[in-house]
Amino acid sequence: MALALAAALGHGNARAAVDAAALYNAGTRALARGDVGPAVAFLLAAHRIDPRARDIGANLAIARARVEESEGSSPRGEARAPSAVALSPAESWGASAALAALGALLLWAHALRPGPRFLALLGSAAFLAGLLLGLALLLRAREEARHPQAVVVAPVLDVAPAPEERPLSPYLLAAGEEVRLGHARGDLVEVRVGGNSIGWARRSGLWRVTDAARYTENSGSR
Amino acid sequence: MTGRRIAILTAALLIATSPPRVARATTSASGKLSIEAKLDADRIAPGETATLTVEVQSEGLNLPDVPLPLLQSVTVERAGTAQNFSIINGRVSRTSTTVYRLIPRGEGAVTIPPLKIAVGGERAETSPLTLTVSHAVAPRTPAPLRGALPPGAAPAGTPEIFVKATVDHPRAYWNQQVTLRLRLYSRVDVIGDVDWRPPSTDGFWTEGLGPARQGRQIVNGKEYAVMEIPTALFPTRTGTLTIGSAQVRCRVARVIQPPDPWSMLAMPDVVPEDVSIHSEPISIVVDPLPAGAPPGFGGAVGEFRLAFHVDSLTARAGEPAAARVTITGTGNVATIRDPEIHARGASREYVVGTSTKVDRTGDRLAGEREHDVAFVADQPGTLEILPIHFAWFDPESRSYRSQSTETVIVKVLPGSGREARPGGIVPGGLAAAAPRRSHGPLGTLTLDPPAASVVLLGSSIVGFGAAVLTGRSRQRRFRDPRAKRRRALEAILGRDLSRSASLARSGEPAKAAARAEHAVLSGTGLRYDVELQGLARAERGQALLSRGAPDGDVAAIESLLTALQAIAYAPPETRVSDAKHAIASARRALERYRNEMAT
Repeated sequence: MALALAAALGHGNARAAVDAAALYNAGTRALARGDVGPAVAFLLAAHRIDPRARDIGANLAIARARVEESEGSSPRGEARAPSAVALSPAESWGASAALAALGALLLWAHALRPGPRFLALLGSAAFLAGLLLGLALLLRAREEARHPQAVVVAPVLDVAPAPEERPLSPYLLAAGEEVRLGHARGDLVEVRVGGNSIGWARRSGLWRVTDAARYTENSGSR
Repeated sequence: MTGRRIAILTAALLIATSPPRVARATTSASGKLSIEAKLDADRIAPGETATLTVEVQSEGLNLPDVPLPLLQSVTVERAGTAQNFSIINGRVSRTSTTVYRLIPRGEGAVTIPPLKIAVGGERAETSPLTLTVSHAVAPRTPAPLRGALPPGAAPAGTPEIFVKATVDHPRAYWNQQVTLRLRLYSRVDVIGDVDWRPPSTDGFWTEGLGPARQGRQIVNGKEYAVMEIPTALFPTRTGTLTIGSAQVRCRVARVIQPPDPWSMLAMPDVVPEDVSIHSEPISIVVDPLPAGAPPGFGGAVGEFRLAFHVDSLTARAGEPAAARVTITGTGNVATIRDPEIHARGASREYVVGTSTKVDRTGDRLAGEREHDVAFVADQPGTLEILPIHFAWFDPESRSYRSQSTETVIVKVLPGSGREARPGGIVPGGLAAAAPRRSHGPLGTLTLDPPAASVVLLGSSIVGFGAAVLTGRSRQRRFRDPRAKRRRALEAILGRDLSRSASLARSGEPAKAAARAEHAVLSGTGLRYDVELQGLARAERGQALLSRGAPDGDVAAIESLLTALQAIAYAPPETRVSDAKHAIASARRALERYRNEMAT
């Protein structure tokens, strides 16, 4: 487990601390311009860092509603308020480690000086919960490393079969649609939706959420 | 009423009562979705084909599929779909045109029910259409069948039915169209549908050329009814390629003459017969394209024309200027590589989309390919859309040809100032939250674990393992009989002997001695793992010796027990000091036992 975690640590290329406010402001300005693609990308990035912020959640919901509107779908109604217990990835990792550490400490104390049995059970449960949470976070981090989350920033993105495949009608993705990326080949990248590859598109029409800070003026590394 | 008036009135009545060929286009309540269906003819003769064209327009990117309902006694074939989209003032709209071939299997009126589509909450539908199939309708003129059988291709004699496959070019260039004509010649009536099994075309890109065509031809002096299936083939590799054998299966009506032709009652007998016939394979020599291809050549072979269009020669900073390059001509348009379009002065450029329309109605596959690119300049100034080059190989002239456009300059004006104020109402009418004035919080965008969490989680796992090992070791020790006896001995030392000493100090030596005696017996029994309580002195000695107790030890214990018994039965005022002394001896003995058991 420790080795897997260390391996996952090696995938990180966006470890620099980023200012959520700068990302939020960039997203809000883009939303005001009507630039929904960059707006969704910036606000998603800000939401990752500060998931409990009401202003980020509200503007992200507006941006997503704009995307649905441009697709011709009816918006899905009122946006839900951000959860008060929503945790950022770093906080989730901290909670996982703290739970596991608490469980290990309780078990260690019980092993050294046996006390009430419920303490041992409580320790085991806390350790197991921390470990399972860590495992889930590890799987999510691995999925993000293999298929990073991205947002369409081109007004319309043409997702077509690979050049050597038989041409078919392309999928058209609207600005602001959230997808995942797969393999890259030249200036093309594989686009995945719902766990399935739907074709290849030009890289210039997509922003990875982890790269969002690059496109802001003052949210860079500190 | 004159005959002319009657004719005019009849025609007017027919026009008034005849069902529409075009179903009224209906649009959703908000006008974002519409559908229209039309027939190329509302009255056809049996055996003819009608074409139904369904056009759907949708604002937004979601374009619904049009499910054509099952029509009784009509075979429906989907001939093709063309899609297009446009962006006007940032709003995307899409159009889809689907063509169906309707092949009725009998006479009568065929009603095409309303075609319904829905996207989100938008709904639209067509009004019903009626197609009348009747012998009273004069058949539409069949398409003339061009191209007689080449010399040597005609069959020997005049068979009643045969199938022939021919190509227009036995030698072709790579990706040049070769038209394969699969023809069924028949001098007998064909009953029902013809089952065509197309030939294998390995090494070719295959495109069908419209529906089956019918006509008549004279072969070896006999007139045949001919049914033709044309196909466009594009070689995808060079060398000698083979078009396999095609198979046609059908049922024909054979007429058997009566034995006595002079009999007035004798009628010819008609017997249906199943027929399966094959065509001969054809070899095609495919040459590679000649050397000297111009720059930008992407493999297009045929006859093409390049057109370029920019939607406006002025644009606002931050708003897209759309450019469209259109390639039309004959050849395999679906595989044309789109020419590169670049602009100087653009901050961003996006490929908006590509669409292909294919025309299969003629002998040559023709079509149009459109490639849309949007350029955005963030600063006022000029945007130069650089020349576009397109090159292709013309197999007729056996040479490469190319076409280029001029540089197009788009003037970029300052931004429109239509931008919504951050924190105000954004386009779409929703109130956005205002920007923040303060910084923070800081965080990382990666989902990977922070180093501190990795260390803490790793330490926890190690700690958990250590706790489990410690617990197991402790449990093992707890279950060990020797350790268990030692713990019991410690309890005797800590509880019984201490109580005994306390009684001695409080002036109750008899009770103290009795308790100490019990403790010594229990402790010695624990040391040698034998039950000594209740045994007589001799039996006790035997038991201890049998458990390996040294003789001296047995004697010392017996001496100590004797002393304690003596105190227990004596008056308390005379034996307090003796009791203390004996209890101290008992403690030393039991402590020694405990130490021996710890080793």
